[in-house]
Amino acid sequence: MNFLYPAFLLGGLAIAIPIVLHFMRRDIAPAVPFTAVRLLQRSPVTRSKRRRLRDLLLLAARVVALLLLAGAFARPYMAAANPGAALRIVAVDRSYSMNAPGRFAQAIALATRAIDEAGGGERVAVVAFDDHADTISPPGTATAARAALQGITPGFGATRYAEVCAKAAEIAAGDEARLIVITDLQRGGWDGDDRAALPAGISLEVRDPGFSSSNLSVVSVTPTPERVIAALRNTGAQSRTGRIRVEQDGRIVQTAPYRVGPNSSVDIPIAYHAPETGSIAVSVDDSEGLPADNTRYAVLGVTRPQTVLFVRSGSNGGYFAGRALAAIGASAERIAVRAIAAPAMPQEDLSHTSAIVLLSTRALDQRARDAIAGFVRAGGGLFIASSPEVESAVLSAIFGWKSLTTGTIEMPASVALSPIDSRHPVFRPFGPLAANLGQVRFARAWRVSSEGWDVVARFTDGNAAFLERREGRGRVVLFTSDLDRQWNDFPLHSAFVPFVIESVRYVSGPQDHGRDYVVGAAPAGAGARPGVYRAGSENRLIAVNVDPREGVTTPMGRDEFTARVERVDTTRGSSADARSLHLESRQSYWRYGLLLMLAALVAESFVGRT
Amino acid sequence: MPQAASRDVRFLDPAVIARLGTMELKARTVVEGFLAGLHRSPFKGFSVEFAEYRPYLPGDDLSTLDWKVYARSDRHYVKKFEEETNLECHVLLDVSASMAYRGGAPMSKLEYGSVLAASLAFLMNRQRDATGLVAFDERIAFRLPARARPGHLHALLLALEQLKPGTRSDVGRPLHQLAEALLKRSLVVLISDLLDDPEPAIKGLRHLKFRGSDVVVFQLLDPYELTFPFRGASRFRDVESSDEVTADPASVRAAYLRELAGLTRRYDRELRGAGIDYVQIDTSQPLDFALLSYLSARARRK
Repeated sequence: MNFLYPAFLLGGLAIAIPIVLHFMRRDIAPAVPFTAVRLLQRSPVTRSKRRRLRDLLLLAARVVALLLLAGAFARPYMAAANPGAALRIVAVDRSYSMNAPGRFAQAIALATRAIDEAGGGERVAVVAFDDHADTISPPGTATAARAALQGITPGFGATRYAEVCAKAAEIAAGDEARLIVITDLQRGGWDGDDRAALPAGISLEVRDPGFSSSNLSVVSVTPTPERVIAALRNTGAQSRTGRIRVEQDGRIVQTAPYRVGPNSSVDIPIAYHAPETGSIAVSVDDSEGLPADNTRYAVLGVTRPQTVLFVRSGSNGGYFAGRALAAIGASAERIAVRAIAAPAMPQEDLSHTSAIVLLSTRALDQRARDAIAGFVRAGGGLFIASSPEVESAVLSAIFGWKSLTTGTIEMPASVALSPIDSRHPVFRPFGPLAANLGQVRFARAWRVSSEGWDVVARFTDGNAAFLERREGRGRVVLFTSDLDRQWNDFPLHSAFVPFVIESVRYVSGPQDHGRDYVVGAAPAGAGARPGVYRAGSENRLIAVNVDPREGVTTPMGRDEFTARVERVDTTRGSSADARSLHLESRQSYWRYGLLLMLAALVAESFVGRT
Repeated sequence: MPQAASRDVRFLDPAVIARLGTMELKARTVVEGFLAGLHRSPFKGFSVEFAEYRPYLPGDDLSTLDWKVYARSDRHYVKKFEEETNLECHVLLDVSASMAYRGGAPMSKLEYGSVLAASLAFLMNRQRDATGLVAFDERIAFRLPARARPGHLHALLLALEQLKPGTRSDVGRPLHQLAEALLKRSLVVLISDLLDDPEPAIKGLRHLKFRGSDVVVFQLLDPYELTFPFRGASRFRDVESSDEVTADPASVRAAYLRELAGLTRRYDRELRGAGIDYVQIDTSQPLDFALLSYLSARARRK
């Protein structure tokens, strides 16, 4: 028996109170001379015995109640109740790389063997994972686990090992367990230098069903007006040759020869004038490698670049932000910028605008305000950058928000910008550049009431720096300092460019004009298999393909794999506390303690009244 | 008259008697107060020698009506008798330590018993009965043989005045000794709290009865012994044995009173069954009830 807060056990010393009172009460009884003590003795003998018993029962009830109260406050839990290593989690990789010839059957055989190795009384859970992990069989009997294995088939997802580690920790729920991961140890299962955390109480074992080093895959398809360019990748040690096919509506419309050297990629131009609409599929034959990445789909048609409208007070403003967006260049992902003065806003056609960057609210009349509100609520994006030109009262009036700001704050030089969640779409692409955010010096910012907003980043003094909220079908983000170097020197830092680009992209996101997705990230309505689907309210065509990273079959060693898994020490420090907290929370013996204390008090009351 | 009667009855109150000086004064006060109240009672006389006739008054004992006079004169007359003088009375007074207990009464049980014994002796002397005294605890501590001669009463009252509480009580033993010592049928009055083992006391009293004596038993109990009014947890220490019982009176009171009632019922049942008068007396109450009980027993003796 362990205690979460053992100091409360000192409260058990309070039992001395009823005990002392018990003995004091006995000693302070005065002597009274009497004659008929014989009568008092004879019948009351039993009464006295009963009374003594009653007193002892009362004392015991009070002592027990106090001890139970102290014990309940100390939050007991049974470390011994921990099932220990009696839990075995068998995780089977079902990513499409496991669909190489014979590989998945071997994986199932390994999983079956791992289940068979479970000792008597050991619980077995089965998890299947690719880019997400599912519990196929919760902790239970080996028989159930074996039966659950039959329902696992390889899919089209990519491997993400962090998912299986998180799922194992969730299933183990603080208990000790043994995690057996059956996977082809694909290097692509780790994002960059990412690591996964696994509680130290979960032992990790990796079993490899083998891998095939040779795989030919179509990693991209780019239709142009003149031709279709397909990128092929060969991970094998031998050169691969053959003919690449272009299919439209289920029939081959063009073929082209290819030759890909060992462990290399090549762009294959295919002389095919693709129509302006519809979709194509480009495929190669690869009997040795993975079948899922032999075909890649693409939606045809000219993609209109996103247009962002800068609303400023005059001819100035937005210079740095505009230059940052121009850094994208002329690629397909380019963002066109148009800048207008606030008074011209009502005349502006917003039909091809994906987002507005609001740099000034001066001279923004009611029609302009209504236009902005209607644009956002219809699904447009709004990026508000605080500055002396922007009045929070106007913003509040546009959207009917409660008081947005409570003034501006002067900031010391030590204050920096710090994202709360580095995985947020705006900050995730920063990578190593995120550190650069700490070098930006902010002198002034709005003090914002975050009610109704989600705070994405804060200044290190605790004030909100970057917030977002939904408004109708659109999205609004608010940067509480400015983009024109008036309140900070942000434009002088390299982090400024990705910050502006990702913020504009993010705020434009609700329109979701993307048409290329990987399996697992496709919008609702798309299937779980690669192909071309119609999705969204516009019923637009989207192409769903497998994640090409999964086609890189280069494996990693088990030691390297294990090194990627950070063991969270649950025996010391805060982790131990967290584990204790978890155990105690799950067992909740304190509730029973309080119930027993209540029963003791009821018994004390009952005995006391008799 | 009502005022005089109330004054007389007042002199039977133990609180008043306790403040009186000598035992003789106490006894005289009690008896005279008792007899003053007796004028309105049916106890008019208990001798066997004819004294005079007087007209019947409501309340007179019908047995004293002279039916022959009634037959001759058609009037109701009752016969008055002279008192008889050849009765031998023995007063047995318990002087054990428990008799010295005084809880809620003006007098201790020993004082009350002494006054009662003195009053009985005074009353017996007025009726020319030979009166003796035996004081005992676990043995006979003092004995004054029954005499009817003048001066004997004074000696008896003096002895009563000088009595001191003894040790443990053993009622049975002196009773047996007295029963063996009595040569003629007598009236024996036992004054005790009878709180020790009832079995020897009952046997001793039966022994006396068996030897032809009439026996009257006065069980003197203090109001505290009768009601057990104590409050708060206490260590009750026996005044004779020093045994202690720690108890909460509130919780043992009912059981104690049940035990006491059982003891009383047993004495009442066993003694009445043997033809012995048993009277339980609260020492906070006047003594007239005790004296009336004695007179009833003496009347039966005739």
